[in-house]
Amino acid sequence: MKLYVKVFASLRQKYPDINDFNPLIIDIEKGTKIIDIIELLDFTTDEVHLILLNGIKASIDTSIEGDESILSLFPPIGGG
Amino acid sequence: MNFGYMNKWLKINLTTREIKDFTIPEETLRKYLGGKGIAVYFLWKHGKKLEEKGIDLKELDALSPENMLIFATGPATGTKSPNSGRHHVMALKSPFTGSIGSGNTGGKWGAKLKFTGYDGVIITGKSEKQVYLSIIDGKAELHDAEKIWGKNSVETSEWLRNEHNQSKAGVSCIGPGGENLVPMAVIMNEEHRAAGRTGLGAVMGSKNFKAIIVEGNEKPKIAKPEEFEAKVKEHVEKLKENGVTGQGLPTYGTAVLVNIVNQSGLFPTNNWQKGVDPDAEKISGETLTEKYLIGKNPCWGCVVACGRKTKVDSGKYKIDYTEGPEYESIWALGATTGINDMGAVIKANDNCDIYGIDPISTGSTIAAAMELYEKGKIPDEDIKGLDLKFGNADAVVELSRMTAFREGLGYWIGEGSKKLCEHYGAPDLSMQVKGLEMPAYDPRGAKGIGLNYATANRGGCHVTGYTIAAEILGDVDRFTTEGKAGLTITFQDFTCIVNSAVNCLFLTFALGLDEYAEIIGPVTGWDVTAEELLKTGERITNLERMIINKFGITGKDDTLPKRLLEEKMPEGPSEGQTVDLETMKQEYYKLRGWVDGIPTAEKIKELGLD
Ligand code: SF4
Repeated sequence: MKLYVKVFASLRQKYPDINDFNPLIIDIEKGTKIIDIIELLDFTTDEVHLILLNGIKASIDTSIEGDESILSLFPPIGGG
Repeated sequence: MNFGYMNKWLKINLTTREIKDFTIPEETLRKYLGGKGIAVYFLWKHGKKLEEKGIDLKELDALSPENMLIFATGPATGTKSPNSGRHHVMALKSPFTGSIGSGNTGGKWGAKLKFTGYDGVIITGKSEKQVYLSIIDGKAELHDAEKIWGKNSVETSEWLRNEHNQSKAGVSCIGPGGENLVPMAVIMNEEHRAAGRTGLGAVMGSKNFKAIIVEGNEKPKIAKPEEFEAKVKEHVEKLKENGVTGQGLPTYGTAVLVNIVNQSGLFPTNNWQKGVDPDAEKISGETLTEKYLIGKNPCWGCVVACGRKTKVDSGKYKIDYTEGPEYESIWALGATTGINDMGAVIKANDNCDIYGIDPISTGSTIAAAMELYEKGKIPDEDIKGLDLKFGNADAVVELSRMTAFREGLGYWIGEGSKKLCEHYGAPDLSMQVKGLEMPAYDPRGAKGIGLNYATANRGGCHVTGYTIAAEILGDVDRFTTEGKAGLTITFQDFTCIVNSAVNCLFLTFALGLDEYAEIIGPVTGWDVTAEELLKTGERITNLERMIINKFGITGKDDTLPKRLLEEKMPEGPSEGQTVDLETMKQEYYKLRGWVDGIPTAEKIKELGLD
């Protein structure tokens, strides 16, 4: 099944062309864990601080069940 | 002498032109710390005095000479502790909301004020002629401001630095917005920093008071210098190591929030009709950094440097130099008005800065006007050629100027969304609390921030209790209402300490209350603990609440716009959500020791406020 991956802020240093309009599309097995995607993209778990699966907070151990899910990865960020 | 403080305050009555110095006893300082805390204490006392004179505070006109305006620093300000260039500004009553006037601002003005030998300045009365104040090397003088009346904030600051031959001085001033008594006018300092909310600039304008220029060489004395230096070093390390303060904020500024808040489905779009802006990427921190950033502009003593220097290279919004915009301004002048042109957002934000009006309330009120127009509530003759459709960047840029000069529809924008929407017969389209427009997080997607908006004393504001740090950027479940009362209270009371210390709220991404005690202790020589500080924060929140109670503000005003309580979020990751405010609010009152938004006699006694 299809997974859309979006990366943000400093994670774009590795993937400068990936953004909200242009997600990375990858084929995955149902039940793939987010940690596997992080490793596939060559990120460490320290770099990826906030994870959203379809806009809802998830963890590295969350498995991806739905086709065409959106995975958004962020480094530590803040503001106000 | 109290360590950490300059031990001198300035009080000016502009009616009589009397200028005098006074000191604050240690006991009072320890009870209210400084900055916002001390200001709230003076405002309470001033309110009492007015009542003794037979003035009903409910009826008090915020633009009358009776209103009091305070510029305040705290024990951390101007020391070597990180990010301590900031100061807090307060007025007894806000001309914009009718609640208390309050704003915190960066730059260097706070630190420079202390270097003049003063901890704070209190202004009352109304000058017959237009005046400004200089405090240079300990000497405070009023001067004729005729030559700078009418100048914008950048021109005013330049003129004053030249006139006094002080190229590095701090300048706080009003622009045309404040002069024209626009209710949402701000006080600007260092050109692009603002005590931005609740219309403090209009209070200044009503007093015929244009600016304060500060410069000096004195330094606050530290009680335990060695211990202090060691802690400062430790804290700077922590700030550098922390991902948010060491990397996220310095690289992208506060605008880095655009994408995460939008991806989470709580980025208010088209006047809060939606929580996802399909074009958010175009106005994101990443886009700002890539295409518009020319440098960083940290506040005095800052080791984080979220401040942005920006430009727009070409096109009709071309600007060679400006600063910002911050996340909240990008949202207000961008997403909620449906704008996805970053150049237009930068231009509109620059207009707000130089003319001196609040970008959050400006953008949010324009968005309300756009929805009124969409729903056929504003007749064409009232908008005189402006195209008020969501997404029309020209209208936002033009209105951000017209508002400061009270031109055409700009008059109503300056009055804020509450009055605008009442005027056009659709009060529910106004997205504010206690008259103050809410900022860039829809609480249908993070319930705690809704409770904070509802209960914040100054009205719909995020920086009173930034639960977003826990709900969106941290591990707390954003949709539950459970535990949000306690969370909000802790954030609110801790923030009072930040604003009374005074230093930067962004420190709290890396430093907690224990670290605040580690700084305040050696600076003042007091044996303070995190618990004492939190209690002090609670005391400040409660005294501020007691002031707004005097204005008739109670539980009925601790609420949210109907849209957030009743209309389900239509789409995106927060789809189907509303805010169950009542449950959180009742728990909040119970934990606070309040009944219907009013502190009980027991609570008042417990906090030593009786
Ligand atoms: S982090 Fe930003 S707002 Fe805070 S002191 Fe530094 S530049 Fe100013």
